[in-house]
Amino acid sequence: MKYAFYPGCVSKGGTPELYEATVKVAEKLEFELEEMKDVGCTGAGVLSREISDPINARTFAKAEMSNLPIMTICSTCQGVMTQAQHRLKDEEYRNYINSEFLSDEGLEYKGTVEIRHMLWAVVEDFGLERLKNIVVRSLEGLPVAHFYGCYLKRPPELMVPPEFEKTRKTALEDVIEALGGKVVKSSGRGKCCGFPILTSNEANSLQMCGDHTIDAKEKGAVTLVTPCPLCHLELDGKQADAAAYRGEDINMPVLHLPQLIGLALGFTAKEMAMQRHLVSTGAVEEALGFEVKA
Amino acid sequence: MEVTLKVRRYDSGNGCEASEQSYTIEIDEQDTLLDALVQIRDENDPTLGFRGSCRSGFCGDCTMTVHGKGAITCRTKVGKAAKKSEDGVIPIAPIKMAKVVKDLIYDDQHFHWDKIKATQPWVDIDSRISEHDYVMSNERVKELRLAMSCTQCGLCDQGCVVLAIDKTYLGPGALTKAFRTVHDPRDTRYRERLDLLSQKRGVWDCAHCFEATEHCPKGIEPTDRIFDIHDKVIKEDLGVGGAKRHYKSFAASVRAHGWLDEARLAIESEGIGNVKGILKLIPLAVKAALRGKRPMPYFLHKKRPGYKKIRSIFEKWEVKR
Repeated sequence: MKYAFYPGCVSKGGTPELYEATVKVAEKLEFELEEMKDVGCTGAGVLSREISDPINARTFAKAEMSNLPIMTICSTCQGVMTQAQHRLKDEEYRNYINSEFLSDEGLEYKGTVEIRHMLWAVVEDFGLERLKNIVVRSLEGLPVAHFYGCYLKRPPELMVPPEFEKTRKTALEDVIEALGGKVVKSSGRGKCCGFPILTSNEANSLQMCGDHTIDAKEKGAVTLVTPCPLCHLELDGKQADAAAYRGEDINMPVLHLPQLIGLALGFTAKEMAMQRHLVSTGAVEEALGFEVKA
Repeated sequence: MEVTLKVRRYDSGNGCEASEQSYTIEIDEQDTLLDALVQIRDENDPTLGFRGSCRSGFCGDCTMTVHGKGAITCRTKVGKAAKKSEDGVIPIAPIKMAKVVKDLIYDDQHFHWDKIKATQPWVDIDSRISEHDYVMSNERVKELRLAMSCTQCGLCDQGCVVLAIDKTYLGPGALTKAFRTVHDPRDTRYRERLDLLSQKRGVWDCAHCFEATEHCPKGIEPTDRIFDIHDKVIKEDLGVGGAKRHYKSFAASVRAHGWLDEARLAIESEGIGNVKGILKLIPLAVKAALRGKRPMPYFLHKKRPGYKKIRSIFEKWEVKR
């Protein structure tokens, strides 16, 4: 399967381990990734839609030209793009965006793009049975708490429409189980991680980060896993601040989805660049029988 | 059908702890939970406290927590609710985030009305306009009507992850009401209102998680209405503190490079002159750098190949603005 790969800003910046792990795991899954380089940021729900819709329409037009579905590795990129795609289904609006913003460059978005998060590509394009068959290191009951990131779940009519309910509603849980892991249902699994309000209300943001990581720990998870690098920036990157804010130790590792898959496909923790995390992933490595340096 | 309702009982006036009381009644499965509560009050227990007025989903008065989730009880059938638990018992409690007055009655003054009042929910019309007919576009009327169809049922606020931890946030219910006034072209206080909404505890405190949209039974999509206000605030260059600096830095880096400059964003969100804030970033930056996370700021941040085209989109938008 070939994709127009949209890595997003964060996998090229604050979470480089996600990019590294994705490329390696994609190769194992025989996903051919043609990286989209001449495209802009989705806007991440920060930019006004009046600016981000034309930028996303430009990305969609380029994907249409390559005749490939877009593959994202970020719940936020996926959510923002899907919402833009939905608005651009309106022909009048699409014509306006094309003529006002894209025509100078000779581009036109025709309204046909497909956008798939890697999680959905694994479940829908590769298949869970095939995934089970290529596992070389079963996660053997490893308790994993899943954390979707709100943009991959909502609004449900766009992100999990009826025709995809079977594959997307529990996609992350299904992947964990296919890899041999044990799903831990943390209360924050479908909630906001707190990242979007980090600069507007740090206290609320850290409260959320603490709630989610502490709850996963109390429910017995050895690690969290997320398909969203912004959730990772919060849950891994701000965990120490959340621990200080809450006045308790947390130490909950947070894996990116491709890292979890990669471990089951035989990659080492180093190959999955887990040493780049701010919260040590030692507990995961130990549980999987890796030698962990003290 | 015979059904048991397990109702949370509490009286803020008597100082006792909350308790649960079960009522088993005979009722048609097509009747609503509000019908069941009325029947219990009329036939079994006149002390049971709850609110409910229109009994047809218009007044937003009878919102409660059923099976742990927010529900409008006059729109919830008894038979369907009973099927949600193995033993057929229907647990009913007051809505989660408000202070309970008695049983299922909550303090809607603090939960709803004070916040709605804070948004100054009236349209101030220019006296020159009020002398004549004012013709709005159909599209604008449609958008306003959608927001006006809100019954203040409180389900969006029930779903809000920010309100769950911070009751001072205005919340999606009040912000949807605010959208109704800022989007009205007859109003004369557009910038003043946006300025008010872009202060702390306002529109920037929204996490954009779409919980409010998922919870809204009327299809008003409160998260999108908050985005509508957010976009208007940006257009008017309003906002305060870190939220405004964050937006401006985000937009400036995408405008200049085509994609986000995260290191610059971290610095500028704190404020260039804010030495204490920037010093606060250093331990995390050092730790991240030692682990191989080194996003480079400003001129060291590589430009995307099509950055000029992205810049041109910004320029066109700026001209339109």
